[in-house]
Amino acid sequence: MAVVSATVGPGVRVPRRHAQWWLAWRRYKRNKLAVAGAACVAVYLVLGLIGPWVAPQNYAQANFLYANHPPSLRFPFGTDGLGHDMLSQVLWSMRNAIEITFGASLLSFAIGVTLGLWGGLRGGVADMVIMRLVDFMFAIPQFFLSLFLVVAMGRTVWPILLAIGIPGWAQYARLVRGLVLGMRNGEMVEAARAFGASRAHIARRYLLPNVSNSMLVQIAFGIPVDLTVMAGLSVVGLGLRPPLPSFGNMIAQAGANVLGYPWLMYFPAAIFAVILLSFLFVADGLQEALNPRAEDGGRRARRFGFGARGRLF
Amino acid sequence: MGLVKFLSKRLVAIAITISAVLAVGYVLIYISPGTFYSSTNMGQGLSQLQVSDPTLYNQYINSLNSRYGLNHPLIVQVVDYVWHSLSFNFGTSFENPSVPIIHQLASALPISALLAGGAVTLAVVLGVPLGVLAALKRNTLVDSALTTVSMVGQAVPSYVLAVLLVLLFGVWFPGIFPVNGWGTIGEAVLPIVALAAGNVAIVTRYTRGSMVEALRQDYVRTAEAKGVARRRVVLRHALRNSLVALVTVVGPTFAFTVISTLWVEQIFSIPGMGSLLSQAFQDKDVPMSITSVYILSLLVMGMNLVVDMLYRFLDPRVKLE
Repeated sequence: MAVVSATVGPGVRVPRRHAQWWLAWRRYKRNKLAVAGAACVAVYLVLGLIGPWVAPQNYAQANFLYANHPPSLRFPFGTDGLGHDMLSQVLWSMRNAIEITFGASLLSFAIGVTLGLWGGLRGGVADMVIMRLVDFMFAIPQFFLSLFLVVAMGRTVWPILLAIGIPGWAQYARLVRGLVLGMRNGEMVEAARAFGASRAHIARRYLLPNVSNSMLVQIAFGIPVDLTVMAGLSVVGLGLRPPLPSFGNMIAQAGANVLGYPWLMYFPAAIFAVILLSFLFVADGLQEALNPRAEDGGRRARRFGFGARGRLF
Repeated sequence: MGLVKFLSKRLVAIAITISAVLAVGYVLIYISPGTFYSSTNMGQGLSQLQVSDPTLYNQYINSLNSRYGLNHPLIVQVVDYVWHSLSFNFGTSFENPSVPIIHQLASALPISALLAGGAVTLAVVLGVPLGVLAALKRNTLVDSALTTVSMVGQAVPSYVLAVLLVLLFGVWFPGIFPVNGWGTIGEAVLPIVALAAGNVAIVTRYTRGSMVEALRQDYVRTAEAKGVARRRVVLRHALRNSLVALVTVVGPTFAFTVISTLWVEQIFSIPGMGSLLSQAFQDKDVPMSITSVYILSLLVMGMNLVVDMLYRFLDPRVKLE
């Protein structure tokens, strides 16, 4: 099902090409948790998009008269030690989190898919070098590379995005390469070759559409991991530099002040956890909906502890 | 492949990988804007000195540079630092020039190792029985409850859980467990719990999956047909076989736990590797950053090596490669 070819030849389109998305949605709908997760993710995306406009205050605006104010009508989530309105902080954090995690995941995806397609299709020395690099990336915790990259580039939005995105490519490269190796000698690629299609054309036209479902699932699993890493950088004091708001900064701050001002923790931590969980449910639902044939593989992967986290740093 | 050949091959691979990481890391710190002199408290005093007495300032900087080998060309510095790390000759840090790094490691590393080891142990001790329970009660309320809870456990990062535990035992139920600091056994409880939660979830899910698979096998049906007690079939025949591959989960789990330790230590103010590493990276303390990454990578890769060998030992069908 996942491998219904949408085109039979250059320019000739099968009219029912949307059938597979419709079928996938039907399967997705059956998973209630996944639907709830998708709703939460949608709310998160909308809030992140409009957050800076609807937030009552600018994230950097301090009201020293109202420092450490418990939740009230004026400050629904309370304020921190500098009098920052926590509701505004949460809304602005969502914006930053969306920019960084989606950007980082897309970056990992782009690097990984390019290298995986190239190595898998080309074989030989290029493939060997790429796979050695992949082994290298898997042998060490990626968090360390992120740390070094943050130190080298700084602690604003773009550097953090790059520091999370660059080390994440190996996951995608390995997956794509495996899928490509399975298709490389198949009839589809052979036929395309017989028609004189170039390697780039085969990769773009025949291989990429067939790995896109797996990639979508992988990205959905990757975004919460990137979010965890992003906040984790803040926890060790190397995330977005305050006053730039981020969930990690709020949680680290809550950790230091939770005994006196517990509301610093309630809302940011709860919202952060809900976002992570929603993505996980969505990813799980996508896995079932898009790769019904790989259900067995999915179960096996989960059994080995890699499923829900995608990658363990 | 013989054991000796396997071991030597893996050790060489570890040495090469770690050298590459440290070299890349060193270059990244080297090209980064600012230095230790400008990023710490020391920086303020130094910049005043630079204005009031440039000669003395230059002398001072030069003496520091030559002490830490920073006056050599970049390539020499990289090779020096990598080689010093590989030969466990760490020298002193910028931050604390009078205390050798090895002494700081001697007090910090056991703490982090205890936390990580405790978390993985707790995960196995709790996760395996829970997984077996879920597999035996497959497709019942117990199973779906366990599966959902373990999904939550996997999604919520350790630092969020750590803050939650501080709130729980610091504000709502104070006095049961200490929520801050290090030194007594009680102070290790909450950090280990925060670290273990994600791992318990992973081990539970894994055990459930492999038990479900194992209970379907022919040898289980044979044992049941021969009238072996249910308890014995589950524990002896199914569980033992499904546990073998559990060691393969411990490897990645341990790597993940080591990183989580860095986070959880920050929340509970524990003087382990986390505080050394984060302080070093924030201050651009080059020797300390390089050394702490080196030690932790070594820990992770050593654990993976041990796991591979253990797997081979437990399952003779597996070939070492």
